[in-house]
Amino acid sequence: MKLNTGERWDLIDRISKETVTFGAYQHTLKDAIGELTVKPMTGIPVAIAVMYGFWSVFGSFAGFFTDGFFVRLFDVYWLPWLQEVFPGQGDWLYAIMVDAGGFESGEFVLSSNCLESFGVLTSGLFVAIGVVLPAIIIFYLMLALLEDIGYMPRLAVLLDTVLHRVGLHGYAIVPTILSLGCNVPGVTATRILETKKQRFIMMTLLAIFIPCGAQIGIMQDVVPGLMGWILLYLIIGYFIFGYILNKIVPGKAPEFLIDVPPYRRPMLSNIGKKVWGRIAGFFKVAIPFVLLGCAIVGVLYQLGVIRFLGDALAPVFVGWFGVPKETAGPLIAAFLRKDLAVAQLSAITMTPYQMITAVVLVSIYFPCVATFAMMLKEGWKELLGALAVLTVVVFTYGGLIHLIGILLGVA
Amino acid sequence: MKKKLSEMDYGEQGTVTEIEKDLQKRVAGMGIRVGKTLRMVTKQPIKGPFDVVVDEAETSLGLDMAGKITVEMTK
Amino acid sequence: MKILLMGHPNVGKSVFFNRLTGANVTESNYPGTTVDYTKGWMKIEGEDVEIVDVPGTFSLDPKDRAEEVAVSMLHESRDAKVIAVIDASKIERGLYLAMEIIEEGYPLVIALNMRDVAEDKNITIDADRLERILGIPVVSTVAIAGEGIKELVSRLKEAKPVNVDDIIANAANASDTESAADAGGAA
Ligand SMILES: Nc1nc2c(ncn2[C@@H]2O[C@H](COP(=O)(O)OP(=O)(O)O)[C@@H](O)[C@H]2O)c(=O)[nH]1
Ligand SMILES: [Mg+2]
Repeated sequence: MKLNTGERWDLIDRISKETVTFGAYQHTLKDAIGELTVKPMTGIPVAIAVMYGFWSVFGSFAGFFTDGFFVRLFDVYWLPWLQEVFPGQGDWLYAIMVDAGGFESGEFVLSSNCLESFGVLTSGLFVAIGVVLPAIIIFYLMLALLEDIGYMPRLAVLLDTVLHRVGLHGYAIVPTILSLGCNVPGVTATRILETKKQRFIMMTLLAIFIPCGAQIGIMQDVVPGLMGWILLYLIIGYFIFGYILNKIVPGKAPEFLIDVPPYRRPMLSNIGKKVWGRIAGFFKVAIPFVLLGCAIVGVLYQLGVIRFLGDALAPVFVGWFGVPKETAGPLIAAFLRKDLAVAQLSAITMTPYQMITAVVLVSIYFPCVATFAMMLKEGWKELLGALAVLTVVVFTYGGLIHLIGILLGVA
Repeated sequence: MKKKLSEMDYGEQGTVTEIEKDLQKRVAGMGIRVGKTLRMVTKQPIKGPFDVVVDEAETSLGLDMAGKITVEMTK
Repeated sequence: MKILLMGHPNVGKSVFFNRLTGANVTESNYPGTTVDYTKGWMKIEGEDVEIVDVPGTFSLDPKDRAEEVAVSMLHESRDAKVIAVIDASKIERGLYLAMEIIEEGYPLVIALNMRDVAEDKNITIDADRLERILGIPVVSTVAIAGEGIKELVSRLKEAKPVNVDDIIANAANASDTESAADAGGAA
């Protein structure tokens, strides 16, 4: 037999009266902090401080290990050694695996660092291990800490007002932040949203506007001074296009209803397990894609495909987005490896504003293949819809950024 | 005195007297039901959600939902 | 045999799961969705038993995709036993979900988890009495300390479907016997 909601509660009331006694409850410091961090007057400043702290620790930790250790390891020891021992300098296999090198006055010269060499075993490994690994470890560690303390639901409550305007609700902050590590678990986390409409908006915004740990790591490494602007453009885009999508996508965007659990002392073993699981998951997804992507880009360069496409599309890049024509190659390659593309871009001479535009373009351009596969699980119609949105966004937003640059007189 | 939850002020408390039919099931899992004492912890500005405590469990719910819950004020 | 660990989010299901299962744990994707869940194996009295860490849900009326999956997983495992994990410090809303599962006819045991938290809040629960009223095993646990987990496992075999009418009758009886006892004490 089934009861209705009222009957069920009546029965539970009766059972509870027989079996449970509620003594006087003393509010603790923990409860007080819980309330202070959810009330807007105190909660919003705390949230800003937490986010800022997160970012500072992330930047300095990742920078410390990448610049302080891995750059040296890879550029001073690994690259020269491989260049020496790998057979067939100058032929195609050498170019793809170790170093594509460059030509100076018709002469083949070796690259001096792992971001320029473009070999699977040099750039590929350096990006995967030297850049992405430290970034992803510190990122997931801090995120697990925030989650296990119980801060995320409170952040969700504070952000609900703005996120509701883009058809989502406060909890959308979880997939959003998770995607800053890797879009794949970010897409998985959209399960906490109620309707198909909300999940579509969320996935589309994630795929377009949220750069993953690999990209952030490399940006932090090669264009640290421009990070603020790049992220600002991405966040603004997230809200502009979220707002538009909310208006045009059919379906419902129900309100927010969440449990706000008390703060808890995090369990170290739990955090360890979670962080390890996520890093392992990331590497299962990312390493093959980084290395394979690197190999394919290498092959396409060798075959001249990228040069051909770059030359063909250069007028669009120059005219519409206002970036120099040398960026065409990297921007094409970005379809496969955004991180390497950013590294390539950083080596081209251009104005800071052009650099910002180019890096934002790389970010919003095309979701990585793994994210693509994840989105397909939600349905091919959604995937096609997201692709259509993506195309529109790249041209309108890319053009808009150029326009803003012209108006500011910096483009 | 009766009020909608959406009209309650910070720190106010009361007994839930009515929940509109379509919302009853939705909030049941959170322990929110007629007859329970409900305390309003805070609300977010610009039509943001309401934070309430029922049975020492804190729940945050949107403005429209808060408008469907009636509370007899006790303090 | 298959056992589903069900309960609200954040009540300790995964801690139970990790303590019950060994190394042989797999994370799977629920077909056609972006929702993942974990399952593993344990041995109970020589029998291999499959344990599933079902995504958290507040009720059997799903309000998001994860809850939908939790409900589908329950409905697709008609022959499963359920361990309903309840946060003892929020017992009433936990019982709401447990009642819904009982009403659907599943054999159930209840883990009253977070006993330590309930004690801190001065909440006392008469688990024996609750067990008599519901007609199914009710075990107090502190999952993070491993307390009560052995008992929970040993009592799984007592899980059986119960009729809601019996629970209603038991609840009424319980209050009668109590008022009778009070009256006797006063005389
Ligand atoms: N104090 C206390 N904390 C617990 C207990 N069981 C679990 N926890 C904590 O509750 C949190 C949620 O546990 P978890 O297993 O992830 O919950 P799930 O969402 O139901 O899987 C974790 O931080 C656990 O450490 C318990 O019995 N007592
Ligand atoms: Mg869990």
